[in-house]
Amino acid sequence: MDNQGNRLYLNFGNNNDRLAATDRTYPTTPSTFPQPVYQGQPGAAQPSSQQGYQQGQGYASAGYFQQPAGQYAGTQYADYSSAGQGYGQPPSTAAGANNDPNTGLARQFSNQNLGGGGPAAAARASPYAGGWGQAQGQRPRTAGGQGQQPGYGAGYVNTPPLPNQGAEPGYFAAAPERNPDKYGPTANNNQKKCSQLASDFFKDSVKRARERNQRQSEMEQKLAETTDPRRRESIWSTGGRREGSYLRFLRTKDKPENYTTIKIIGKGAFGEVKLVQKKTDGKVYAMKSLIKTEMFKKDQLAHVRAERDILAESDSPWVVKLYTTFQDANFLYMLMEFLPGGDLMTMLIKYEIFSEDITRFYIAEIVLAIEAVHKLGFIHRDIKPDNILLDRGGHVKLTDFGLSTGFHKLHDNNYYQQLLQGKSNKPRDNRNSIAIDQINLTVSNRSQINDWRRSRRLMAYSTVGTPDYIAPEIFTGHGYSFDCDWWSLGTIMFECLVGWPPFCAEDSHDTYRKIVNWRQSLYFPDDIQLGAEAEDLIRSLICNSENRLGRGGAHELKAHPFFRGVEFESLRRIRAPFEPRLTSNIDTTYFPIDEIDQTDNATLLKAAQARNGQQQQQEESPEMSLPFIGYTFKRFDNNFR
Amino acid sequence: MSNLFSGINARFRGAGKHGGGKSPVSPAADDNHLTPPNKELGQRSKSSSNLQQLAKLPPLPASPALPKTIPTGEEVLNSYRLPQPLPLWLNPAYAKHIVKGNFMTLSSKPKTVELGEWIAHQAVEHYRNLWNFVNVVSAKEADGKSICNSTTCPRMSAGPNHSYTWLNKKDDRYERIELPAYEYMSLMRRWISGKLDDTNIFPTDPSTVSFAPSPHVSGAALTSSADDWIGKRSGFPKEFASICRTIFLQMFRVYAHLYWAHFVEPFYHLNLEKQLNSCFSHFVLTATALDMLKPQELEPMQALIDLWAANGTFPPESTAYSYANLQVGARLLQMAGMA
Repeated sequence: MDNQGNRLYLNFGNNNDRLAATDRTYPTTPSTFPQPVYQGQPGAAQPSSQQGYQQGQGYASAGYFQQPAGQYAGTQYADYSSAGQGYGQPPSTAAGANNDPNTGLARQFSNQNLGGGGPAAAARASPYAGGWGQAQGQRPRTAGGQGQQPGYGAGYVNTPPLPNQGAEPGYFAAAPERNPDKYGPTANNNQKKCSQLASDFFKDSVKRARERNQRQSEMEQKLAETTDPRRRESIWSTGGRREGSYLRFLRTKDKPENYTTIKIIGKGAFGEVKLVQKKTDGKVYAMKSLIKTEMFKKDQLAHVRAERDILAESDSPWVVKLYTTFQDANFLYMLMEFLPGGDLMTMLIKYEIFSEDITRFYIAEIVLAIEAVHKLGFIHRDIKPDNILLDRGGHVKLTDFGLSTGFHKLHDNNYYQQLLQGKSNKPRDNRNSIAIDQINLTVSNRSQINDWRRSRRLMAYSTVGTPDYIAPEIFTGHGYSFDCDWWSLGTIMFECLVGWPPFCAEDSHDTYRKIVNWRQSLYFPDDIQLGAEAEDLIRSLICNSENRLGRGGAHELKAHPFFRGVEFESLRRIRAPFEPRLTSNIDTTYFPIDEIDQTDNATLLKAAQARNGQQQQQEESPEMSLPFIGYTFKRFDNNFR
Repeated sequence: MSNLFSGINARFRGAGKHGGGKSPVSPAADDNHLTPPNKELGQRSKSSSNLQQLAKLPPLPASPALPKTIPTGEEVLNSYRLPQPLPLWLNPAYAKHIVKGNFMTLSSKPKTVELGEWIAHQAVEHYRNLWNFVNVVSAKEADGKSICNSTTCPRMSAGPNHSYTWLNKKDDRYERIELPAYEYMSLMRRWISGKLDDTNIFPTDPSTVSFAPSPHVSGAALTSSADDWIGKRSGFPKEFASICRTIFLQMFRVYAHLYWAHFVEPFYHLNLEKQLNSCFSHFVLTATALDMLKPQELEPMQALIDLWAANGTFPPESTAYSYANLQVGARLLQMAGMA
């Protein structure tokens, strides 16, 4: 066992100078983590496709192992997503997806707002789209396609590769033409699940093995640094216990009953966020529970999945940490770190405006946070004060916490197209309605602003949400890129200094129109004095995408004179302007819980079902229902905070 | 050469233990702790196999210099008495995977992790994997019929030479009963999940987690006494290893049935054969590495194991590789025109 463990470590490529030795152990390759097999055309798996095999013989040099060992971590996921596409779809589709200016490498928080439809949109929808489509694509009816068979044998088998001599006929049972349609819908549905679960299994296993080996080499480094036997024993046993606890955690099915609800700290159309405490160890978390049927009805599944993915993947101090996800028949649960400082929206409601110094701090931190998200390959697309949380020290973390916010129709291009055609979501004959967008807001409109401010939280919890911070190019459906998040930053900065967002209006339709016509509607009130540099920064963010600062990367923003003197590298270590004053680790002072209905819908729903005897033992476990496969996630360091 | 010998030796070893013609009785059947109230899991393989034939050959290992008596790949393959033409899953073109690289990286026990903990982890993971495939054949369509039913599979079979019976405890004795495969599998699923969910057997309490004895420390911690067992340090019960062996053996039998009876119908038609291959090869690598499966137990799937050793799926340092006959694998590749 020890040998194997050691070999595993050697193979891993985190110690490059030892790779040569590995090579000797493995006649095949240095990097040995299982990877998905690329397949142009699965249909080629016909005995007749001999050319395919011949081509395949050179695979060891022809990129069978796609990555140099050292670069493994960076590219693994990309591989999987592209494998998903490559799997079932004809190459032309995949190429189209890659050429799409809107995607690039970006995996987005949400996948709905992909106007146009058509194959490119479908391919772009998500890395998982390929996987879903796979079932169909994988069923070519034609035999004998010329696929690139990976060509077993070439580098692997002890016998040297020989020229292809051709199959000796008749040895093997003939392969019939594949015909998935001979089975019913249940089988075909199970086919999708099975395929998805199998690829998820290997993907997760590889990721875990990679991380485990990383930890092991870190441990060995620590062991090498000391000769004190007691210290060494303690390093060893701590390491072993941590790994063991994690394995136990993986085996254990989590359920909401394992947590005590302390308070409900957020509520929305799709579920709620609760402050909870784990019964076994008393640790505190924020638990987001989402109603499956609602998610399904409102077509939010891809989004939920994308969010789970980014949160699961990221290990950044700028992104709220997701510890685990689990599910039961009715809900999806996300167990996240609890950030006691509340959010920027609550702060803005409380203070109305910030000084320029305080604004500088938050905006600088948000720049770093957005940069971190972009580095993960994601476009947030929904940066707004509700999604900017403050941790114990008062520093910023991004999330999609405000339930409704990330999960509303905001990402549905059709919704905006409808709005564009004048179908407002609100009756416009409201007697009190003053067409706010026709008069520019000034301090004299304070009462209206206060109305707006009061309705703000309600808005945040509604299904529709606020479009206030969204860049115009997202509405118009002509494509957008990473820089749309910098627009949002500009609007937040405006709000911090002015007291309301620049395109604030009475209903979404008006806001929307103002955003699209930003050249006319962006207006700095005369009675509020902004520094020239602050105004310049705002104007270089709230502008058309071509000229927007940050288009070339976050460094463009960091270099702006407004941030002169800001040390970005150490920003997170300095003291924040507002540090939450907390009395305990379950203090919810900074959450507007008075405004939140404390009814625990999940519990009510469960109780109602129990009364109706609906709690029938399901034959199928909830993880197995197709739309939610692969949702469950377990982070290693969950146990060891 | 040495690889060849290890493969052959394994076969002989298997044949030797197999000599009585009986498959090992499930450990569970011997253990009162485990006896479920009604039907006991258990089975005997009705094996009328090939291995006896091979065993008649002169004992080999003593003298490596007997080239004439070393059976060729073809001879050994013939001794498996497989149906002709060979099943589709032995065609190397259909023995492929959805992943590439060395599966051992996924199944090797991390150094610091206590062995019982790792076995428990693997048992759960492979159980989850396997049942994704069983679901496909056992789920009922609207008309109430499943792909695997008492007409298609009246017995829990793994090819013409093997079928497994259920050991049913009646009063004080066990009787072997033949069940349709889908019933056998569903009983087995219930039995296995009953074990995996039993926290006395598979503890989940984080406070009892232990670690592998450190190689840096000599002395008391390392000496294994007679009263030691796999998983003892981490709170696993004495019978834990034998329960896990049964679980792995049972899972192997399910895989064997899926290959022999359902590889084409439905997995090939549903484009799931690569997924099945990946999960099964990973399963075999893990189970053999952890000594949860003995070489003789692999018999119904031996030829596929030989093929995977020869085509590189099983790395040379793996236990599964040492259980394989490379000549047979090479022959299969040759037959497919891939050698």
